[in-house]
Amino acid sequence: MNLKFIKTDLVLGIKQWTRSPGTVFWTILFPILLILIFGAIFSSGTDVEFDLVVQDLDESTTSNEFVGILDNISGINVINLKAEKDVTKYMHDEGEKVALVIPEGFESIIFEYMQSQHDPNSTFDMDDLPFNLKIIVDPTDQTQPSILRSIIISVIQQFNINITGGQNLFGLSEEKSVGEDFEYIDFFVPGMIGFTIMTSMIYGSIERNTKYRKNGILRKLLTMPITRSEWILSKMLFMLFLSFISTFVIIIVGIIAWGLNIHMSVFFFILVICTSFMFSGLGMIIGRFVKEEETADMAGGAITFPMMFLSGTFFPLDQMPVFLQTIARGLPLFYVNEGFRNAMIYSDFSQTVYYTGFVVAFTLVFFIIGVFVTKWKED
Amino acid sequence: MVEKKIQCPSCNEIITAAGNPGDIVSIICPSCGTEGKFTFKKPEFSEEVAVEVANLRKVYGDLVAVNDISFSVKKGEVFAFLGPNGAGKTTTVEMIESIRKKTAGEIKILGINIENSFDLVKEKIGILPQEFYSFEKLTVKETLDYFSQLYKKRADIDGIIEAMDLKSEENKLYKDLSGGLKQRVGVAISLVNDPEIVFLDEPSTGLDPKARREVWEVIEGLRNKGKTIFLTTHYMEEAEYLADHIAIIHKGKIIAEGSLEELIKKYGDQSVLRIKNCKTKNTSDILKDYGFAVEREGNGDISVKINYRERVLEILSILKNECIDYSTIDIRRSNLEEIFLKLTGARLSGSGS
Repeated sequence: MNLKFIKTDLVLGIKQWTRSPGTVFWTILFPILLILIFGAIFSSGTDVEFDLVVQDLDESTTSNEFVGILDNISGINVINLKAEKDVTKYMHDEGEKVALVIPEGFESIIFEYMQSQHDPNSTFDMDDLPFNLKIIVDPTDQTQPSILRSIIISVIQQFNINITGGQNLFGLSEEKSVGEDFEYIDFFVPGMIGFTIMTSMIYGSIERNTKYRKNGILRKLLTMPITRSEWILSKMLFMLFLSFISTFVIIIVGIIAWGLNIHMSVFFFILVICTSFMFSGLGMIIGRFVKEEETADMAGGAITFPMMFLSGTFFPLDQMPVFLQTIARGLPLFYVNEGFRNAMIYSDFSQTVYYTGFVVAFTLVFFIIGVFVTKWKED
Repeated sequence: MVEKKIQCPSCNEIITAAGNPGDIVSIICPSCGTEGKFTFKKPEFSEEVAVEVANLRKVYGDLVAVNDISFSVKKGEVFAFLGPNGAGKTTTVEMIESIRKKTAGEIKILGINIENSFDLVKEKIGILPQEFYSFEKLTVKETLDYFSQLYKKRADIDGIIEAMDLKSEENKLYKDLSGGLKQRVGVAISLVNDPEIVFLDEPSTGLDPKARREVWEVIEGLRNKGKTIFLTTHYMEEAEYLADHIAIIHKGKIIAEGSLEELIKKYGDQSVLRIKNCKTKNTSDILKDYGFAVEREGNGDISVKINYRERVLEILSILKNECIDYSTIDIRRSNLEEIFLKLTGARLSGSGS
């Protein structure tokens, strides 16, 4: 292994990259545009979802009646959760976005209030009102919680009117299903990192293979002392360099513009490296079969765009039809996105390891095949 | 694998034997049953030879692209591999450069069989692939630096820039160069390791006449420095101008080989001396009386076929002594185009197919 060859070829890659407005755009400006535009869109997005997890800790007739009202609203599917269950864990495990917790004392506060209206000696303190129900929302979904929140508030208001004639007996407090103060943008960023690495690696590999083959550079290199493995390694180091630039640009701009809140761990770096190698390998495989430079973009688009929309990059997977969700689980980008989310957002070690394991497996398969099919020698 | 047709010594039946150079194969005549052995000879290699090709063959399915060709290139000469597009030139040179797999045959570069030892000759050869286009965002000097650093043995880059007359362009980006300059840079790239043999595959294709002439001058300069040049071209003028030795390839077969003089002598027609605007009426008869084959052309010109150069002086003497009135004379000898036409029935500038 001649390090000088690798260094020389690496410097070549950086020089060419810095002098090409197109590649600089894809590596730096395109991610900035993505985070600014999509961040703005999803900061005030609207959509509809129906599942509502309800945990009734009061388990009274009145609380049952309240849940019944919610359940009768068209479009809301109430999922009753037993009192002993951990709501946030259930939401995480089942992918539920919104839960409503009815605290113990729900019914008794009504009775106490009504008694205070007839008993001047009542010790009931109106300053303790409202008695808050708790809504727990998953910030990965910006639309579903806002719709359910407004429906629950309107039901509470109607309940208040019926009981008090206008006094806010009941109110609504809010928590997030993850322990810290995350915003939607925090959940959007991992998908964007995965998508950005995927596009730059696939397009880079395809373009390099088709262009260098067409221009005779691969034929020239074949007659020179540099080996194919030295060349591929130098290209991979260069592509990793691009991946980290894009990734850090997304994170830094996200922090500055949107107050991004993420965790960095060793898994983040493993995922960036594996994702880069995996999609470079996929690009090498495509590049082997795309002989014409002109068709390289189309081939790249044909792979990246369906994968982008089907892998939960920008939209939660459970908003898609079931058959598309099944397809998504066969796509490598899905595991990349989930790996990044679990590593950077949820900090869920077991889930991070689970998804990273899939990413590593995909990486081994694609990169090994990619290296194997990347031939300099003509038949 | 090479095939040879052998005549049975007993019954004269033609038998086909197959084997590789160096193999000894047993043969039984299917007609009379005579048994014998046949040795596929290995070509003898000389230290004066830079490239040796023996029984080289390339087959794509049913298509035989290169059909059992053998030739050698001497050290220090410009060897032109001449043929129309599709004749098998690039396929051959790319097999020699180990870019393309061969079906059969043996290739030696500087005495080294490249079958499994191509790495040993990489430092000793320089290659300009066909339709080569370098990194467009690098300057000329950066390009040469990049390629030179991928070799252990490196030539003086500034010296190459000077020799290639690229000094004023050294800081220009490759993409901003003219076609001729790009090819000159391509040739310069092939020299960054100070190679003994330089392979130039169609170096002037697509260039205008001026740029082509510039490339020729560069190649002449390399020859003067003692480099061995392996040139593939479909321009007969290029081969005529540059080559010390020419191999003409057609449909995968070498159909003629030798120096330009040898080829003309062997395959060319007689040279023609043309007396232009001849006003003396009986000139044809006078020359016929001296034993020349004369043809009168409609425009007053007279063509005389000549075999030997000495006879030109004889004709000039006759014209003077007989007071024949004419404007000019010129001599046209056979060229490679005519030789190719004569050998194949097709024009060199046409398709190889």
